[in-house]
Amino acid sequence: MDQGRRSFRNPFDIETPPGADGWESMYPAYLQFGEELRERDEQKLWFFDQIHNPEPMYPFDLIMTESWLVALNQYTTRVWNLPTALGIEHRIVNGYLYLSPNVIDDPAAMAERAPVFAERARHYFENWDDIYAKWVAKATDCIERLKAIRFEPLPEREPIETVLGARGTTTAFDLLTRYSRYLENMHEMAYYHFEMLNLAYGAYLTFLEFCRSHFPAITDDLVARMVAGIDVILYRPDAELRRLAARAVQLGVGGALTSGADPDAVQDELRTSEAGRQWLADLDAVKDPWFYYTTGSGYCHATRAWIDDLRPPFAALADYVRRVQRGEDLSRPLDQLRAERERIADGYRSLLDADEVAGFDSLLALSRQVFPFVENHNFYVEHWHHSIFFDKARELGAVLSAAGLLEQDDDIFFLHRYEVYQVLYEAEARWAQGVPTRSEYIWREEVARRRQIYAAFEKWNPPPALGVPPEKVTEPITVTLFGINTETIERWLAAADEGRPDDRLLGLAASPGVAEGVARVVHQVEELDRLEDGEILVCPITAPSWSIVFARIAAAVSDGGGIMSHAAIVSREYGLPAVVATGVGTRVLRTGDRVRVDGGTGEVMILERAGARADEAAGV
Amino acid sequence: MTGLPIAAAQAIGGEDVAVTANCLPEHVNDVGGKAVGLGSLLRAGQRVPASFVVTAGAYREYRRGEPGELTPRLREAIVSAYAALCEPHGRDVPVAVRSSATVEDSAEASWAGQFQTFLGVSGAAEVLAKVEQCWAAALDPHVGAYRDGHRLGAADGGVAVIVQELVDARAAGVMFTQHPETGDRSLIVIESSHGLGEAVVGGDVVPDLFEINKITRQQHRSRLGTKHTEHRLAGDGRGVQARPVDPARQQAWSISEPEITALADMAAALEAKLGRGLDVEWAVGTAPSTHGAQALFALQVRPITVPPGKRPERPGRPERPGRAERPGTGPGHDAIGHILSRLAGHEPGSGAG
Repeated sequence: MDQGRRSFRNPFDIETPPGADGWESMYPAYLQFGEELRERDEQKLWFFDQIHNPEPMYPFDLIMTESWLVALNQYTTRVWNLPTALGIEHRIVNGYLYLSPNVIDDPAAMAERAPVFAERARHYFENWDDIYAKWVAKATDCIERLKAIRFEPLPEREPIETVLGARGTTTAFDLLTRYSRYLENMHEMAYYHFEMLNLAYGAYLTFLEFCRSHFPAITDDLVARMVAGIDVILYRPDAELRRLAARAVQLGVGGALTSGADPDAVQDELRTSEAGRQWLADLDAVKDPWFYYTTGSGYCHATRAWIDDLRPPFAALADYVRRVQRGEDLSRPLDQLRAERERIADGYRSLLDADEVAGFDSLLALSRQVFPFVENHNFYVEHWHHSIFFDKARELGAVLSAAGLLEQDDDIFFLHRYEVYQVLYEAEARWAQGVPTRSEYIWREEVARRRQIYAAFEKWNPPPALGVPPEKVTEPITVTLFGINTETIERWLAAADEGRPDDRLLGLAASPGVAEGVARVVHQVEELDRLEDGEILVCPITAPSWSIVFARIAAAVSDGGGIMSHAAIVSREYGLPAVVATGVGTRVLRTGDRVRVDGGTGEVMILERAGARADEAAGV
Repeated sequence: MTGLPIAAAQAIGGEDVAVTANCLPEHVNDVGGKAVGLGSLLRAGQRVPASFVVTAGAYREYRRGEPGELTPRLREAIVSAYAALCEPHGRDVPVAVRSSATVEDSAEASWAGQFQTFLGVSGAAEVLAKVEQCWAAALDPHVGAYRDGHRLGAADGGVAVIVQELVDARAAGVMFTQHPETGDRSLIVIESSHGLGEAVVGGDVVPDLFEINKITRQQHRSRLGTKHTEHRLAGDGRGVQARPVDPARQQAWSISEPEITALADMAAALEAKLGRGLDVEWAVGTAPSTHGAQALFALQVRPITVPPGKRPERPGRPERPGRAERPGTGPGHDAIGHILSRLAGHEPGSGAG
C-alpha cells in the first residue's frame, strides 16, 4: 500500500456508542466487518449511504438495501457485464449503512467484458421505448400483486370454509405462504428498479460529460434542464394537489382547507356540505395511486406516504388554495417549460462549431429518450410500490401483536425479515398448541433491547467515509447513483484533517441563485410544520414531495443527492437555490444559524452561529 | 466651425484625419487596430465616445518634416477635427489621446499598454502636443525591440493616433465574451473597478469579477475585488488622478445588476456582429455627449489574445488540440456507441472508438 495515501478512519477501529453494546445481533453477520476479510476491507473505501439511508437501519428495512444489493449488482456484474465494475458491497457500522464500490481495472478483464456489455446494453438502448412499455406493465403488475397480499389476524378458530371446502391447509399456513410471496415481491421489484436505471444514468452521464468538455462552466442544473422530462408522472401527485386546490375554490370549500385544522377535522367539516362531499369524492378518486407518495427516500418505513398521513398533502393544499384565491394559475405551464428547455439547448448548440453539433444533438436526443424512465421509475418503485410494501409490513405487525408475540404493531421493524419468518412460525406454533409459549416473552424482550440500541445509534454521528480511498473515483455507478467523485473524497478528507470546517460546506450546485437566511434543520416530515417562511431548509435528503414547503423556503441544502436527485429537480422547478450532497449539512448546521447558500457554486457559508446570536441577545 | 471631413472608406489612406466610423479592417495599416476596433463598435450600434483618428499617413508626413515640428497642414487637420469634437458642447472637451499602432492589435500578440495613452487632455494645444508625443514614442527604440521580439519585421507601418472624448467613468473595466483561460464559450467574463478602466487594464487593483452565463444570463460566479485605488478625471478636466477608495466603496460592487445585464447584452450584440471571442473595454460614466447622465460606453474591442505560455487547452478559436482523439462527435454521431464506450471505462470525452 502507498504509505503516503491519506485515509479515513479504519472501519475496524470504530467504537460502539454507549448503550449500543451487542448491536451486532440485530443485523446479519455477512453485512458486518469481520476478521476473515480484515486485510481486504480495511484497505478499501467505505462511504456512508446518506442519500438513501440517512438514519440508522431498522432491521426489517434492510430488505430494501439487501434487495438492491442483489438487483443492482447482478445487472452490473452478470447481466450487463459492465467492463469497469463489479458489485457494491454493504456493511453496517453502528446501525448505519456503508457502501464500497468495486472497480475492474485489469485491462484484459475489461476487454473481455466489453463486447458482451456492448451487445447487451446496445439491445436495450436500441429498443428502449418498447422495453420501457413492457417495464411499465411488469412494474404495475408487480404492484397489483403486492396490493392483493393480505395479512389477517389468526382467528380464534379456523373458519368452517376450510372444512367444507376440504382445503387441508389453514389460515396459519396462509400467513406463512403469503409472507413468502410478499418477500419475493419486494425482490422482484428491486430487479425492475435496476433493469434500466443504470443504462439511463449512463446516457445522461455521457451527455453531461460532453457538455462539460465543451463548456467547462456548465452546471449540472443546466444540463438537467435540457434533458428533464416535462410531462412525467413523477410530477402527477403535485399536479393533482394543484388541481384539487383549484377545484376546492371553484366549489366554494377552500375555506375548510385553509382553516389550519388537522386533516380529519377538515374532512369532517367538508362532509357537512354537498360541495364538500363532492370535493372529497374527487380526492378519493385520485388517492390511488397518486397519494402513494412518500416524503422520504422510500427506503425507510418511518416516513409515511400521503395516503397514510394526509398532513403533508393537506398543508400543500392549504397553500395552493390561498394562491388560487389570490388569482394565481397553479397549472404547470408545460408549453413554457418545453420552450425553456429548447431555449437552453438551442443556446448551447449555437455556441458549438458545426462539427460538434451532431454529437450534441444525438446525445441530447438519447438522454431525453431515456430520462423519463429515471424520473418515472421513482414513482413506480420508491413511492408507489415501497409505500404499499411498508403498509403491508404494518398489517403483518398488527397480526403479530394481536397474536401476542410483539408488544406493538411497529415492533416488526426491529426484526430482520428472516427473523419475522421465524416469528411467524412461532405464532403458527403457538396458535396450534393453544397454550402459552416462550415466544411471547422472547421477542418482546428482544425488541425492547433493540429499541434501546437504536436510540443509542441515533446519538452517534457516522463519518462520511471509512478506510482508504482510491486515487480517483470515476466508476459511473458510484458517480451517478451516489453523487460521489474524486472531489467529494478530497472534501471529506480535508474536513477530517481539519476536524471539520465550521464555516463552509461544499456540495453539488443543484439549482442556481444565492440566498441568505436562517437555517432550519429538518430530519423528518413531521418537523416541517416548524419551518417559517423564508428559512433555509437543511435536511438529510429532499424528495419531490417535500415540494409542499418549497413554496415557502428561501433555499434548500441536503446531505445527500446525486446529479439528478429529486431535490435538484424540485428546487429548479421552484426557482430556489439548492446545494445537495453536502454530506454533513444536518450535522454541521444548526437551526438558527444564518447561512448563505450559493446554488451556482455549491457553497454554503455559515455567516453567524445560532449560539452567537443568542449570546448577543442575552448581552453576553 | 466645419464638420469632420467626410472621407470615403477607400480614401482613408490619403487623409491626415479619418472618421472613426469609416475605419474598416482593411484600413488597419492607416488607422491601426484600435481605430478599426472603434469602427467595428460603431457599426455594431454601440455607444462609443466621439473620436477622430490621426492616420499613419499623417505620422509619415510628420517624419518627413523637421523633427519636433508639425507642418501647418497637419496642425490644421488636427485642430479642426478637435474643434468639431468640441463644437456641440461649446467648450474644450477633455479627451484621451492614444496611439493606435498598426501592429498593436494583431491577433498574434497583444501589445496593450506598450504604446502611449494620455488621459484628460484639454484644449487644441494640448491635443497637438500629445499627438506628437505618441509619435515620438513610436520611435522609441524600446518599442522597436519589443516588435522585433515578436518577429513582426522591421517594416515601419507607422502609428495612428486616436483622439477620443474621455468618459468620466464611475466604473470601468474589461469584458471577455468567452472565458479567456478555459475558452468556455458559454461564459461572459466581466472585470470591473471604480473609476477609469486604467486601474483594471494596468493591474492596479484586483477588480470585481462577474461570470455570466451567455444563455440564461444568470451569474455563474462573482468575486468582490479589492478596489483600493481609482483613477478619476481631475476636476478641471485636465489630467487623471489616482486616489484611494474608501473602505465602504471597496466592499461595494463597482457595477449594478442592470449594468451587468447591459454589458451582457453588449457582449451578445458584438458577438452577433463581429464573431466569437472578443475582448471589450468599457466604461459606465458621463461624457460631454451624455449631458451629465450615466451611460454605458464601449471603448475598445479586439479578439481575445492569450499570453504566450498561458495558452488554454481549448482556446475559443477553432483549432482545438485533441480533436483527432475525439471521434464520434461529428456528423452521423453514434450516441449509443459513445455511451457504451464511456461506460466501458473510456475517459470522458474519449468518444466511441
